[in-house]
Amino acid sequence: MATAAGSSSAAVPFWRAAGMTYITYSNICASLVRGCLKEPYKSEAASREKVHFAVTKWVSGKPEKPTIRSDSPED
Amino acid sequence: MATVNEKQRTTGLKTSAFTKTVVRGKAAVRIMEKRKGERVFNGSDKIRNRMKSVRNIQKITKAMKMVAASKLRGVQTKTENSRGLWQPFVALLGDGFSVDVKKNVVITVSSDKGLCGGINSTSVKVSKALTRVYSGPEKETKYVVLGEKGKAQLVRDSKNRIELTISELQKNPLNYTQVAVLADDILKNVEFDALRIVFNKFHSVVSFPPTVSTILSPEIVEKESEAGGRLGDLDLYEIEGGETKSEVLQNLSEFQFSCVLFNAVLENGCSELGARMSAMDSSSKNAGEMLDRLTLTYNRTRQASITTELIEIISGASALEG
Repeated sequence: MATAAGSSSAAVPFWRAAGMTYITYSNICASLVRGCLKEPYKSEAASREKVHFAVTKWVSGKPEKPTIRSDSPED
Repeated sequence: MATVNEKQRTTGLKTSAFTKTVVRGKAAVRIMEKRKGERVFNGSDKIRNRMKSVRNIQKITKAMKMVAASKLRGVQTKTENSRGLWQPFVALLGDGFSVDVKKNVVITVSSDKGLCGGINSTSVKVSKALTRVYSGPEKETKYVVLGEKGKAQLVRDSKNRIELTISELQKNPLNYTQVAVLADDILKNVEFDALRIVFNKFHSVVSFPPTVSTILSPEIVEKESEAGGRLGDLDLYEIEGGETKSEVLQNLSEFQFSCVLFNAVLENGCSELGARMSAMDSSSKNAGEMLDRLTLTYNRTRQASITTELIEIISGASALEG
């Protein structure tokens, strides 16, 4: 795992510096691993990766327009 | 006309001129049908229509129960497997339920669809009680609501405290990736010191009590570990690699949130299916009882009108003879 060389304790791993959380990082790694599978397991695993939900932010008691996250999880 | 209005006011009945003419018209039609020799049963077609609709409802609720039962079997295995995700976290970090923090965010997990009994109301009740428990000077509590039913209930009196609402979560079968993306969204948009996830834990088909899982933000975990106790034992562990303790804690906290949220969503889904099964089961039972009562009334009305007809015929015949 490419962690920062432990020279200074203020150095962060590259993905944290790019603004990703650990969850996003591990998701990307997981889909890379899933991409290494052979058929038919690959399509079975791909069905476990589907993402779909709608998020609505609320500002001072009023909902704004909802954003739909319905893509394949990595983009 | 004055007396009619007085009657309206005292009894509260709405009798308008229109309905009176309609009623008179219906009675005229019935008399004409009788003269034509057709048999007219008093109100029995109404009962028959009611019986037909109650029977249809019973079939529908029985079908819904079967559907929920078959779905439950699949989700239950997933749920039981997902419990292993957060158990190591609780063994390591403990559950921070009693930790007092300034910014609490209550994540209420509810369902999108209805007809599932009272599980959404219990979750909302527990969330509201949590807000009261954690209220105080300089403290604030915000809501993140998953699911339409929870949103509908919380919007009524806690509109200003809602940060995010999420819906359409169950369009695809639940998987970890979806919940992880969702957790990422929440982490990016909401500031928190502690996250309290409220969901219905699935013990069995008839038992799904509401539960609260707590996740502390990494800064609070550091503060608590200095204070000693379970979290204070974290210093006993050696940290490999070039990361500092705070980095490790941050990664752990995010991953813990994702795992616990995944388990919470699965357990709530299971509980929703179990609740729907029992709700539809009692609904079919009620429909069956209603059907029995209606059948008795129907038979009674039918026999009464047959008896009346017989009496008329016989008395008419004996009048002719006699």
